[in-house]
Amino acid sequence: MIKAENLQKRVPMAGGELEILKGITLEIKSGESVAIIGASGSGKSTLLGLLAGLDESSGGRVVINDTDISALDEDQRALFRGREVGFVFQSFQLLPALTALENVMLPLELQGQGEARTQAGHFLERVGLGPRLHHYPRQMSGGEQQRVAIARAFANSPAILFADEPTGNLDTATGEHIIDLLFELNREQGTTLVLVTHDHALAARCQHRFRLDAGALVEAD
Amino acid sequence: MTATRMLARDWRGGELGVLVAALVLAVAVVSGISAFTTRLQTALEQESHRFLAADRVVRSGSDMPAEWLAEAGELGLRTAQTLTFPSMVYAGDADMVLASVKAVSAGYPLRGELRYSEAAFGPVLTADSGPQPGTVWLDSRLFPLLDVDIGDRIAVGEAEFAVVAAARTEPDQGGSFLGLGPRVLMHYDDIAATAVVQPGSRVEYRQLYASDRAELLDSFVDWLRPQLVPGQRMLDVREGQPGLGDALGRAESFLLLAGSLGVVLAGVAIALAARRFSERHNDYVAIMKSLGATSSDITRLYASSLFLLGLVATLLGCGLGWGLQQGFFTLFGEQLPVQPGPAGIRPYAIGAATALVCLLCFAWPPLRRLSLASPLRVLRRDMPLEQRQTLVDYGIGLVAVSGLMWWYSGDWKLTAAVLAGLAATVLLGLVLARTLLRGGRLVGMSAGSIWRLAFAGLQRRGTANALQVVIFAMAIMLLLVLLLVRTSLIEAWQTQLPEDTPNHFALNIAPGDVQGVEQMLRAQEVPGAALSPMIRGRILTVNGEDLPRREEAEEEGRRQREANFTWSDELPAGNSLVQGQWWAPQSDAEEVSLERDFAERFGVALGDRIGFQVGSESFEATVTSIRELDWQSFNPNFWLVFPPRLLAAYPATFMTSFFLEPEEKPFLNRFIRSFPTVTVIEMDVVVAQVRGIISQVSAAVELVLLVIMAAGALVLVAGVQASVDARMHESSILRALGARRRLVLGGLLIEFAAMGLFAGLLATVAAELSVYILQAQVMGMQYAPSPWVWPLGIAVGTALIAGLGVFSCRKVVSSPPLAVLREL
Repeated sequence: MIKAENLQKRVPMAGGELEILKGITLEIKSGESVAIIGASGSGKSTLLGLLAGLDESSGGRVVINDTDISALDEDQRALFRGREVGFVFQSFQLLPALTALENVMLPLELQGQGEARTQAGHFLERVGLGPRLHHYPRQMSGGEQQRVAIARAFANSPAILFADEPTGNLDTATGEHIIDLLFELNREQGTTLVLVTHDHALAARCQHRFRLDAGALVEAD
Repeated sequence: MTATRMLARDWRGGELGVLVAALVLAVAVVSGISAFTTRLQTALEQESHRFLAADRVVRSGSDMPAEWLAEAGELGLRTAQTLTFPSMVYAGDADMVLASVKAVSAGYPLRGELRYSEAAFGPVLTADSGPQPGTVWLDSRLFPLLDVDIGDRIAVGEAEFAVVAAARTEPDQGGSFLGLGPRVLMHYDDIAATAVVQPGSRVEYRQLYASDRAELLDSFVDWLRPQLVPGQRMLDVREGQPGLGDALGRAESFLLLAGSLGVVLAGVAIALAARRFSERHNDYVAIMKSLGATSSDITRLYASSLFLLGLVATLLGCGLGWGLQQGFFTLFGEQLPVQPGPAGIRPYAIGAATALVCLLCFAWPPLRRLSLASPLRVLRRDMPLEQRQTLVDYGIGLVAVSGLMWWYSGDWKLTAAVLAGLAATVLLGLVLARTLLRGGRLVGMSAGSIWRLAFAGLQRRGTANALQVVIFAMAIMLLLVLLLVRTSLIEAWQTQLPEDTPNHFALNIAPGDVQGVEQMLRAQEVPGAALSPMIRGRILTVNGEDLPRREEAEEEGRRQREANFTWSDELPAGNSLVQGQWWAPQSDAEEVSLERDFAERFGVALGDRIGFQVGSESFEATVTSIRELDWQSFNPNFWLVFPPRLLAAYPATFMTSFFLEPEEKPFLNRFIRSFPTVTVIEMDVVVAQVRGIISQVSAAVELVLLVIMAAGALVLVAGVQASVDARMHESSILRALGARRRLVLGGLLIEFAAMGLFAGLLATVAAELSVYILQAQVMGMQYAPSPWVWPLGIAVGTALIAGLGVFSCRKVVSSPPLAVLREL
């Protein structure tokens, strides 16, 4: 379960502070799929960053499965992310130095898992990239790179998956395939899914939606 | 992800090229130069030891403790002793001649050889030890003077000796050959029997030490040095070789300077490359952190990468350094008059230590900050990079550069001169570059679109560009400094020993022989100096005060001593006045002109009165001028010059120097036979040796210059690369908006050329400043401005930076804009 309590984010600007998130409170139950929607600059990605423990809040707290991640330092949060969280990003964020297989192995190796290679191979097979294990990101299309990213996100069986505009850099048809794959794996693994999107059709496939406007939560269903 | 995998991939992607090349070059430059100078020094020291007849010599006016020899013997050193003293030598009842007697112990000489012949002026043979007790070797000249032959007997003091050979040369006879009488060589054990040497006699004792194990020698010297008292002096290996000391000292300074500059350049290149590497890795670190990597995981990963990189670069660099110096000795070794000695492991250890310092101080600071990168960059790529520590980085870099230079050159003046030049470049550069760039913008505003584009680009990244101009200027400045110093160094060497440098001295020419000698030299068309009169005298008082006698003197310089006087109406050729005025022709005033170093050693100045003694007569003269002269010219030079009338009454001999081609050597035999009382000293071997070494060292200097040029080029490449991403990004957008190839490339060309122009200008100013400090303060050379370097510095700066810049960005016009943007 993810709980955000009065979550705030302010950044210093010339001539004062800019308030990006104005006291967000929300709750997401385990296994649910949730979409965070809103216009550009409404604070969606900032909220995702805070919920996933990638950033520090200016006030309030985030509790995930009884752990108050707001109270952890960056290294403790890194360990927490490695254990509990998976990510899929708009720009894929694969390491160009590593092959598809190595990219998927990376989070497993960081966790010290012995079966990293087998498990990574299994997930790449699962996303349909069995024949391309040893290809580098630059040798793959955008859709293929995002499938590698999805395999990497699920590889260490995370409790929660955060996705930031996962179809933002893809054409419509490829985007749909990717979303199908994401929801399919989500169901199989019983993962909690939190995704940020502009896309209403995509948001509609989630169980719940939170709408942000100018840093405030204006609608939830 | 393992460090090796990351490095392998970065290497394939071209990310590591400059970093590795700079590291390899730093190690190669340091280990190569260090090995080269070590080998040359070892060789030259061995050679100069021959001029001392030993590795170390202690000289004294009185007997020295026998325990010193015993201690040396116990340590395993070889030892010998000599005693030189003037004495009358008799043969029969009538003939007697004042000779310079040298008594040598059994082991003498410890280095080099004795040369003798079986008859006067006969074919020269070599021996590795001197006369046996009871026998003597006589200078060839003494045979006719004493009317003796091999097998006859002569007397020195109260002892009689059998003449068994003609003494030709001793390894350590150079140096103070002036004024010596003809040589008599005898055994050290016979000294007592002569009863000539009494306490207070004017004698010179020498203890000689040698060992092939330098550490034994060093520990002995460390033990001995504190025990030396005034009047006892340890001789430096370089003192035996006139002309070579200065040349080698300067060459060494140059090579050390070059090495230090190489390290600075490589350091800058490493820092720039590491910074770019770190910037490009920020996103990777953010991804790894989002996947659960902790700061210590990141630190470990990059530290081990750097360690691996350092290891590989050190091995490659040491290999390259070894190859460089080995290649040099293979190419030129045969022409060297000495065999290059071993370099040992030390140069490579210094190379490895340099790599370590470069990595820790230049490469590690930006990489260490990677662990601070925010994982949030995975969501927001526009997040600013972690820059907080940058000032600290510069501080660490500066300390490292200064430390390395000081450690490497062992010369704080040299370090300070280069640092002053660098500081001037940076400070002047930042101010000037910004002003010039702003001025350029104003010019650009009124120009066509390419120019406007270029100058807008310069202006937009004002601070970054100013910094880049400073880095370019630093590299160009260091190269110009090296070029300038090398040019004046080689010029100075060449003028120091022109082709017809005199290589023979003729001494003790009696006044009656002057005309004959002049005629004979003229008839042979031998180039040489005019005959100079020479009177042996003593310096007794300064301003009425008696100087201490040799055995009482606390300092080596200021004491009663013998010297050669000459007279002249004109300032001798090759001399220049530094203070006072030369006397009027036909002056009969009591005046004397002193050589500058001599005046300093005696602590006398213009207007002081000095008391002299020639034979049994004393007189005084006032110092009216101080001269500077070139001791390395191989011309007759004198510390003291008087007006002719002042010395007219005293008996004088004459001397001259002249140049003989090797094939003209037989002339000497005729010359000596015609003038048997004249002493001829052959310096041709020494002159040829000095010239040989100088030409080899010049070649080494050129080679090192090339290597350092490569380091400079790396800095330029690293500097250009540092800004390539931003420029490529902008140019790609321009291309996407439809800008033609000519506009984009033209804009980049002008932008880089302008930076090159400013950098060249700045570098030239700073280089002149550094060279002034270096030549005037460090290398003891005359500074002269070099107008030719101005157009060169500016043209090379402009062309190089423009060429490199456009070359690095060429992809922007050859690939589709989107592909370029995706890669950045």
